[in-house]
Amino acid sequence: MTENEKANVRLGTVIYGSLTQGVHVKLDPARSVEDVTVGRYVAIQGEKKRFFGMITDISLEAVDPRAMVMPPDISDPFIAKVVCGTTTYGKLSVLPMLTISGIAGDTEGPQPAKTVPPHFAGVELASQSDVEMVFGKEDKQRFYVGTPLDMETRICLDMEELVKRSNGVFGKSGTGKTFLTRLLLIGMLQKSRTTSLIFDMHNEYGWEGTSEKDHKVKGLKQLFPGKVAVFSLDEKYDQRRKVKSDFVVKIGYDEIEPEDMQMLRSVLNLTDLAVQAVYELARHFGDDKWLQSALDLFDSGDKEFASNHDIAESTWKNLLRGLRMLQRFKFLVPHAPENTVTTILEYISHGKSVVLQFGGYDDIAAYVLVANLLTRRIYDRYREMVDIATSADTKKPDQLVITIEEAHRFLSPEISSQTIFGKIAREMRKYNVTMLVIDQRPSGIDEEVMSQLGTKITCLLDNEKDVDTVLTGVSGKSELKAVLSKLESKQQALIFGHALPMPVVVKVREYGSADSYKELGPTSSGEKAHKTDGLDDLWG
Amino acid sequence: MAVEQKIAEVIETSNSEFLAECYDLDSVPALGSMVRTKGKGCQIYGIVYTSATHSIEPGRRIAARGKAAASEADVFKANPQLAKLLCSDFKVLVVGHSPDKAIYQYLPPSPASIYSFVYACSPVEVKQFTQSLNFLNLIIESRSTVAPDEVIAAFLRYASLTHPAPEEFLVKAGKELAWTLSNDIRRLDSILKRLQP
Amino acid sequence: MTLDITQVYSQIEAMAGDLKSHQSDYAQKLELALTTLKSIPPQQDRLKKKIEDARATWLVAGLEEDVSLHRAAAPCPDDFVVAASDGSHIDVDRHQSTRLFLLNIGLVELQYGSKPDAELSSLPTLYFGDEMQAIRSRDGRQALIEGPLLGIKREVEECRSLADRVCCNETNLPVVGLVDGSLIMWGLVGKHYDDFVIEQLLDDGLIKQFGRFYELNRKRKAAIASYISFPRSTDVINSLRLQLCPRDPVDCDNEFCKGKFEGRECDAVGGLLDRTLFSSILADGERSAVFSSRSSIIERYGVHQVCFFYLKLDEEVARVEVPLWVADNKELLDLVHAVIVGQCHKGFGYPVSLSEAHEQAVVTGADRQQFWDLVDRVMQEGSLAVQHSLKQRSKKRKWL
Repeated sequence: MTENEKANVRLGTVIYGSLTQGVHVKLDPARSVEDVTVGRYVAIQGEKKRFFGMITDISLEAVDPRAMVMPPDISDPFIAKVVCGTTTYGKLSVLPMLTISGIAGDTEGPQPAKTVPPHFAGVELASQSDVEMVFGKEDKQRFYVGTPLDMETRICLDMEELVKRSNGVFGKSGTGKTFLTRLLLIGMLQKSRTTSLIFDMHNEYGWEGTSEKDHKVKGLKQLFPGKVAVFSLDEKYDQRRKVKSDFVVKIGYDEIEPEDMQMLRSVLNLTDLAVQAVYELARHFGDDKWLQSALDLFDSGDKEFASNHDIAESTWKNLLRGLRMLQRFKFLVPHAPENTVTTILEYISHGKSVVLQFGGYDDIAAYVLVANLLTRRIYDRYREMVDIATSADTKKPDQLVITIEEAHRFLSPEISSQTIFGKIAREMRKYNVTMLVIDQRPSGIDEEVMSQLGTKITCLLDNEKDVDTVLTGVSGKSELKAVLSKLESKQQALIFGHALPMPVVVKVREYGSADSYKELGPTSSGEKAHKTDGLDDLWG
Repeated sequence: MAVEQKIAEVIETSNSEFLAECYDLDSVPALGSMVRTKGKGCQIYGIVYTSATHSIEPGRRIAARGKAAASEADVFKANPQLAKLLCSDFKVLVVGHSPDKAIYQYLPPSPASIYSFVYACSPVEVKQFTQSLNFLNLIIESRSTVAPDEVIAAFLRYASLTHPAPEEFLVKAGKELAWTLSNDIRRLDSILKRLQP
Repeated sequence: MTLDITQVYSQIEAMAGDLKSHQSDYAQKLELALTTLKSIPPQQDRLKKKIEDARATWLVAGLEEDVSLHRAAAPCPDDFVVAASDGSHIDVDRHQSTRLFLLNIGLVELQYGSKPDAELSSLPTLYFGDEMQAIRSRDGRQALIEGPLLGIKREVEECRSLADRVCCNETNLPVVGLVDGSLIMWGLVGKHYDDFVIEQLLDDGLIKQFGRFYELNRKRKAAIASYISFPRSTDVINSLRLQLCPRDPVDCDNEFCKGKFEGRECDAVGGLLDRTLFSSILADGERSAVFSSRSSIIERYGVHQVCFFYLKLDEEVARVEVPLWVADNKELLDLVHAVIVGQCHKGFGYPVSLSEAHEQAVVTGADRQQFWDLVDRVMQEGSLAVQHSLKQRSKKRKWL
């Protein structure tokens, strides 16, 4: 039995504080400052209410300031032992966040703390039942994401609730964003009726990916063969990996619109004038023909169009270079045999999530192009469907979550207002489409978009600007900042926002061992059978 | 259990302390040792804070008598009356009482009864009494004794030996002292230095 | 107003001057006394006879041993017992409403040797009512005990308690009983007490107690002695006066001497004290010869006739009195001598047993006050009227 499972591990006593600054807790003599860590949950038993809060700071204090100047003879280990916690003591800063039912029969559930516990209220490490009271028990909607620091209790996210809004996963590179994202996606698959569209730039979600420890971990397709389809942009990659994708995506030149080019402006290094030239081409040749036509013009060396439309030589060359880069992408074909968007929507409407693997095209240009192009069209179609359903009063399509990586490429302040992703983020859940944005430089994302994210899950960030951005608009920001900057570089994440009653630091649940898969598969029996088959195929 | 040997008798008493005269000369209990006596309807526990051997008559000076004697014992042999004219007594700070099974570490409602017998507490009793250390401030704040720190240290050293983990007990006691003496680090330090055997 | 010490000062100075002027005179007298004493032994019997025949106004010592003798103490036995008693009293207070007095006898018994032991106790007795407070004759006369008579009564009681204690001693060791002061009841000398008073206090009182020691001595070595510190007696000097007197038989009422206080032959040693004389003769721990008292009252003592010797201890000369049967018994006398020397050494110049007995007996002013307060309280509680004289009340409160 670990310490946490024992009831009421007393830490100390509330001595002073405020609601905004948090309360200060004098550590009991029997407790060493070394026993507690920032980010741990504590419960404070008031007279009428039980408060739930988090340790945000730990400091050393002395009852008599003279003790600092003339410390007792602590070279004597006995005296040192005695003095610790008495003459000198540890102080915890605790941010009371919630009141949880304090009186028997109170079923109100956790409420934001609107007052502080009284003087000398006892402070304990939060018990398993406290934590469960706050975050809820694992059930058919709640997905276990990890454990609080130094506790065994499971922190669960209400997945149905989570996906109603756009969410973000942040963290500097190597902190386990992908790992977390994969978990969240599993959670959505397992605990909600949501379907996902995942733009899998680095081929990490569909089939097995590598964990940080360099051993392979199962992908979504392996865990949920019946619920997940893998689409691929790169057949050759599939062949190398010896996997068969459900669909090979080809995108016709006729599907690329001028707006897509605008998104690619920075990745293709296009000038503004070059983008304008694209619009010019589109006006002239039509949205579906402009690219083919432009390529033809370049091929034939015809500069008439340019001169007719006052396009400078340099702009024309700039555009030429950009379009040539696109031509390197083999998934771009003059005309695609099947409409990808339609196929994806078909899958999605059947409740299947789609992982779009980029295969060898782990190029930001390809990613921006494809993600943008597909999302815009899917969003339009979804909007249509929702509008129709609303007017006909029929069932709206299921929630769709679009996962994008390198989100700042789509959501930077300069372009977020124009892109579809900015739109999704802002319009929120009106059309049952939300996003899961993954980024290592959240400061590059438009503030407005950030503020619209419902729940943020952030791993260690060490850039001040990134930290500030992530925490914008959160109460107790400075305390959380301390917590955030002290996260371990792996497997720990601070989760806060809509889906949780209060911020929480979790040690992300294990994922990758044989044991872990037992809990990470589909929950219904039918799915399980299916899954087992799939696994046999895979590992057989 | 062996028959308890009474060691002295209360001859002066107040709520916070009492004076007990020994039955035998020079057989005073050690400084800081714990004794028990009776009060009105309760057992009273106390800690010896000073002891003395002196003339039974106030104002009678004791003269040196051993100049020609071969040993200290010879002094008594040559002056048999001395044993009758001297007495040993000790003063005790009351630190708690027990009207029933429970022990309360605060002053009893009424003082120890005059002429009540005084017994030395057994290690078991000391251990039981020292389960809680709230009484320490009764000694720290006592104005009766000129050296309360010595009394505390002597008592705690002795009491620690009655506990299975003496070191742990001393740390606990030390912390208790540290609370009370948080504004007097020097004093705390000096007591703590005396706590270790 | 209290004592005006400045006025006294000049008088003290005058006194000191006067004493100084007499110093050489004094030395001369002492010289003569010594020479005289040393001249006696060859013709001691003559002096003895002269003393017998003399009609002197002085109290003269009877000569029992060679007068110039000085003897160190014999070794003390290893194991022995010393008992001592002393007393004090609270006298009848005329200002108190109740007539009563209190005797407090302190008793000490010290056992030395292989089994050292000590018993210290005090024995207060309250005397009240006519029965206890008076000495009565068979024919109905009575003398109230108070003042000087109470002092005598106390002496008797001290001795009685001492005898009681010694007789109870269960060891077989030699025992010496000590009392403070004289064995001679000087209080009865020269006063005109009725015969029944003297009879009861002396014959049936003190002397009877001596008799108990005497009886005890048949079974074990037992002696009684009294110790007089700083004695002012002149018995021996007076004997020297007789030696110096040219007349034989001596008759102080002769034509020449009658009515004179100086200028007589014998005045050459007048004014000296016995202790001064023996201080020059005795070494530390030595005793003088034994003399006998020739006080008129001694006639009643019989076998217990009081004898005495002087004893030098450090700078002091003390007088030790013993009954004749002790003086005549060399062993007993040596025992008394040795024991008292030892006691004095232990007691820093005064017998330790006596000083402890005194400590046991002593009644301080505070005790006295407490005693009377207690009497008042108990009387009041018993609804007995308490009346104090107005004088007493005025002493209690100082009026302005």
